Amino acid sequence: MTRFFGITLSVWLLCLASAFGAEGGHHALPLDAQRLHDWLPVTNSMIMVWIAVILIVLFCRIATGKMSLVPAGVQNFAEWVFESLYSFLEGLMGAHLTKRTFWFFGSIFFFILVSNYLGLIPGVGTVGWNLQNAAGENVGFTPWLRGANADINMTAAMAFTFALLWIYWAVTENGFGGLVKHIFAPKGNFSGIMLVMMVPIFLFVGVLEIISIAIRPVALSFRLFGNIYGGEQTLEKLMTLVPEWLSFLPALPFYFMELLVGFVQALVFTLLCAIFLKLICDHGDEHEERH
Amino acid sequence: MMTFLAAAAEQPGALETLSKTFGLHGMFFVAQVVNFFLVVIVLKKFAFGPIQEILEQRRERIAAGEEKLKRIEQQLAESEATTAAAIAKANEDALRLIKEAKEGAAAFTEQKAQEAIASAQQILVKAEAAGNADRERISSELKREFGRLVATTTTQVTGKVLTPEDQNRINQEALAKVGD
Repeated sequence: MTRFFGITLSVWLLCLASAFGAEGGHHALPLDAQRLHDWLPVTNSMIMVWIAVILIVLFCRIATGKMSLVPAGVQNFAEWVFESLYSFLEGLMGAHLTKRTFWFFGSIFFFILVSNYLGLIPGVGTVGWNLQNAAGENVGFTPWLRGANADINMTAAMAFTFALLWIYWAVTENGFGGLVKHIFAPKGNFSGIMLVMMVPIFLFVGVLEIISIAIRPVALSFRLFGNIYGGEQTLEKLMTLVPEWLSFLPALPFYFMELLVGFVQALVFTLLCAIFLKLICDHGDEHEERH
Repeated sequence: MMTFLAAAAEQPGALETLSKTFGLHGMFFVAQVVNFFLVVIVLKKFAFGPIQEILEQRRERIAAGEEKLKRIEQQLAESEATTAAAIAKANEDALRLIKEAKEGAAAFTEQKAQEAIASAQQILVKAEAAGNADRERISSELKREFGRLVATTTTQVTGKVLTPEDQNRINQEALAKVGD
């Protein structure tokens, strides 16, 4: 009960702070991340990436500072979180793949989760400077900080990195021939004329599979970007629907929702990546045939 | 679908529009990829590495413990089987020893009984012999005494001093009558 009130109060304060942060004129969060320096390719979302990483590493260093075989305190919590995700992925991909790829999936899950929650902190995406033209009119707004996943470049970077790793893991697990066979070869026990008829069909299915594989990173990027950017925009726009002194109120329920969305999107991204990998490395049919 | 792909490819500036609309920027994208690689490397080294290592250690420890437990259970089972076999053998030996002891005791009792019987018989024989000897001795003494009494009585009655031959004859006659 106390915990529930604590969370509710935190979200209330978050809303209030956010509303006061946005006071003095609302600026819509731009769709793209802004460059903060003229010659360094550093954007406001990159700053959030580094902050997220520093926070995760700090937490893990605190948790793993005095590691013992009988865990307690922060180490216990960290191990619980870690093991929960590990078991979840193990149930999905199997022990071998999970052991091999957990460093990536663990990183991606915790990074997205922390980044999403950091994006909800008041001031992120709402505090910055106005861009003015020669006549002194406001023509744009550059926030100092921007949610890492509210930048398509970041989500695309993660998705395309996964795509490259996916190819590497798929080839090393299946072999190049096995990968091609996995995509194009007829599935099922066909023989004779049926096999001849099935070959062109499965070749076509293979082409569709290739297109599907190519589209996956795009879908992953835009799904995460759309949800996080959309969430931030929703919170911001809801505050403009009422008088400024009441602006915290409409956003309140959506802060709860955004907390959920932040977690769900981290899970969905990780889950989809894990499933894509499992699908290409799955030898279930071959094993069954052998048995 | 091919038509769709061809149409998409033919559209001039589609990627440019996409890039402008969503802020997809080549340099930022590459920078974020580098960023993300660094993120993954840093997290792997400083975050997940130590935790995974300790979990691996604990998993190995648990597995070793379970293995040890299995071995102990196996040893216990073997030990129980050995103990049961030893107890069974000991029981068998004990029964055999008891049986042998019983048989030995029975033989010994029989032997001792026989010895006792033999000894008793010897005692009886000896006692009988001794009795006979005593009877003979007493009888002889009685006869002698009786002869002396007869001789004395005869001397006193007749007033005559008997010669040894008379005495002997009277004794013989008296003994012959008593003996009858």
